[in-house]
Amino acid sequence: MSEATDVAAAASSRDPAVGLAAVAALRRLAESLEELQVANARAQGWSWQQIADSLAVSRQAVHKKYRRIVS
Amino acid sequence: MFERFTEKARTVVVLAQQDARQRGDSAIDTGHVLRALFAVPDNLAIMVLEGFSVRQADVEADLAARPETAPDGSAADADALAALGIDLDEVRRRVEEAFGPGALDRPRSPKRRWIGGHIPFAKEAKKALELSLREALRMRHNYIGTEHMLLGMVHGEGIAHDVLVARGVQLDVARVIVEELLRGRRAG
Repeated sequence: MSEATDVAAAASSRDPAVGLAAVAALRRLAESLEELQVANARAQGWSWQQIADSLAVSRQAVHKKYRRIVS
Repeated sequence: MFERFTEKARTVVVLAQQDARQRGDSAIDTGHVLRALFAVPDNLAIMVLEGFSVRQADVEADLAARPETAPDGSAADADALAALGIDLDEVRRRVEEAFGPGALDRPRSPKRRWIGGHIPFAKEAKKALELSLREALRMRHNYIGTEHMLLGMVHGEGIAHDVLVARGVQLDVARVIVEELLRGRRAG
């Protein structure tokens, strides 16, 4: 991002539209990264339990979320 | 509704979806549909637009000049993340360094099943298709052709509406042209 964009964004950081959009974008980014990393971990032989521990969630949660897309 | 679509109108929907997928867009917007209209040869929508001297090259240029409108497009996300001091391009660069090109762009979660599969219609595009049905009913037609799709987009909101209206396309005049064309030709 350009400096101009950063300054403009910082100047309006109390604007809920900016703040909430940033949170939503961050969540999407986190979801994409999580999926990528879970797939990578499985490919490297990690167990669901190990992945769950690293993500600080339950094994059931991570398994349920990714079993269909990650073997 | 889709069961009333003519073969050409169905082709337009399929091509709009292909266009959206090839561009990596997360939804089909009216711009994709408008592009797809021009991709189906010899259809009534193109003839109506010829009546307004609107040509494919003009529309392509107008659409290309518009900023990204995808509801959760990465351009919008990049701006939003910049507000937090996060450079999405830099994140993408580092991820791709480790996992290869497009690693971040290919989420495989069920929530994003449009990747490689079905791509949903954006709100305006859905509305425009509904309006195409209404335009067909208004003319007492029992089918929805490309001409009705065009009228629906002019009638509705979205990028296609903006581009077409800016090019001088008027709904009332377009309806008259459709009816005149239909007197001498089968639906398309």
